Amino acid sequence: MKYIYDIRLIFDFVFSLGARLWELTGLPLWLYSQIKIVVIGSILLGVISLAVMFLIWLERRLSAHFQSRIGPNRVGWQGSLQAVADIVKLLAKENITPANADVVVYLLAPMVVFAAAFMAYIALPVAPRLVVNNFSLGILYILSISSLGVIGILMAGWSSNNKYSLIGGMRSAAQMISYEIPLVLAVLSVIMMAGSLNLSEIVASQKNFFDWHIFRQPLAFLIYFVAATAEINRLPFDIPEAESELTAGFHTEYSGIRFGIFFLAEFANMMIVASIVTSLFLGGWHGFGFLPPIAWFLIKDAFTIFTLIWFRWTFPRFRMDQLMNLGWKILTPLALLNIFVTGIRMFIK
Amino acid sequence: MMIDKYIIYFFSAAMIISALGVVTARNMFHSGLLLGVSLLSVAGIYLLMGAEFLAAVQVLVYIGGILILILFAVMLTHKICDKSIAQTNKQKFWSLAASLAVFAILTASIIKTQFASNTITPRVVSAAEAGLEIFSGNILPFEAVSVLLLAALVGAIMMAGRENEK
Repeated sequence: MKYIYDIRLIFDFVFSLGARLWELTGLPLWLYSQIKIVVIGSILLGVISLAVMFLIWLERRLSAHFQSRIGPNRVGWQGSLQAVADIVKLLAKENITPANADVVVYLLAPMVVFAAAFMAYIALPVAPRLVVNNFSLGILYILSISSLGVIGILMAGWSSNNKYSLIGGMRSAAQMISYEIPLVLAVLSVIMMAGSLNLSEIVASQKNFFDWHIFRQPLAFLIYFVAATAEINRLPFDIPEAESELTAGFHTEYSGIRFGIFFLAEFANMMIVASIVTSLFLGGWHGFGFLPPIAWFLIKDAFTIFTLIWFRWTFPRFRMDQLMNLGWKILTPLALLNIFVTGIRMFIK
Repeated sequence: MMIDKYIIYFFSAAMIISALGVVTARNMFHSGLLLGVSLLSVAGIYLLMGAEFLAAVQVLVYIGGILILILFAVMLTHKICDKSIAQTNKQKFWSLAASLAVFAILTASIIKTQFASNTITPRVVSAAEAGLEIFSGNILPFEAVSVLLLAALVGAIMMAGRENEK
């Protein structure tokens, strides 16, 4: 199966051409590989930013329709340039640092949050061979890197010197620690079925439609989806930034482009979660022919993101104790039970 | 590769400087964050040595779990949060002597040891190999550690439960 628009072939061609030209200049080769890393990183950053801009527009339009409103429809076709206008506005705004803030930690916090979200994309295959670095521990790498984001949220909450920020940061940390356990356990049962930690191999193991892990591991899928929604702090689990009680949670004091970076990281995390759902449970780039693999991946990704947005505008917010009960008393035991049953099934086979 | 050597030097320097920061910073929250930098540098060195699994677990367990709990505890404790406090007490001379002794022993044994001088690139150990190693040869120590952790967990629940009854 070879497509004319295999993007990886284009990259291979461009980079081998670049290597040839580099040899002509006589500069050391390791410098070229470092430049290559920077170029790939910039491309990734550009793609993520563009996708986030699209998602912001999508979320605002969809939420408007869920609530029988129209939503932004003035800037560009159907309001599609609204996100661009928002970013220009954020860039032009003043960056305020609270008087009693811990300045260094305050300034580093958004960078930590965004770096954790951004680094996870490196191990994510969107089509056969189309991945920045095909780690043998792909899914473990993504899980461990995205767990760093909590530190940035704690930094933001603590350094702002604001009680709402502090409570928001602490709630967020408590929530993320609690939900990380069922999340990892749910992923573990899929890893057991696929027999690999590498995301490309996990996707390759779901070639046939009924081999998709959503059919073989329906419980793990549900647990993962709920826990992941909590991990990215979206409704019905958005207690860390509950507007009605905490103004905006951990990023209350942030303004201008620093607030924008938090926003960017939130949407980047949402895309990571949707991509993991797609790769682990929905068969990744496997489709039904007639479209290139990357298109199938993006269709499933978009559908998962749509579901997340749909959740947000449908369910009311949980209370803190309900949230903890759900995580520790329902999801964690269920995930452990699921691993146990999966193990027995594999042992019998 | 040539550049790997300098990246290892960079990580080692970052690890040592941030570790010094952990014990000298007067703000407990800063100490916690610097501990994170130190642990992350260790993970980076693991990665360059080919121990991918160890690096991933280092980040997931030590930074994603333990460090966040430490920061959480600092934020919850008002006596130590948000204040500059001295990190030393009356026993600083004894602890200095003890740590100097450990340093001397370690340095002496490092100097004495004959390290392999070949420059074979380290082999990447896969997760499957690590798992087989743990669950075949080293199953007894592994289970002993599990029981220890379970005991600590039960103890923590007992202590928390007793406080609720009052």
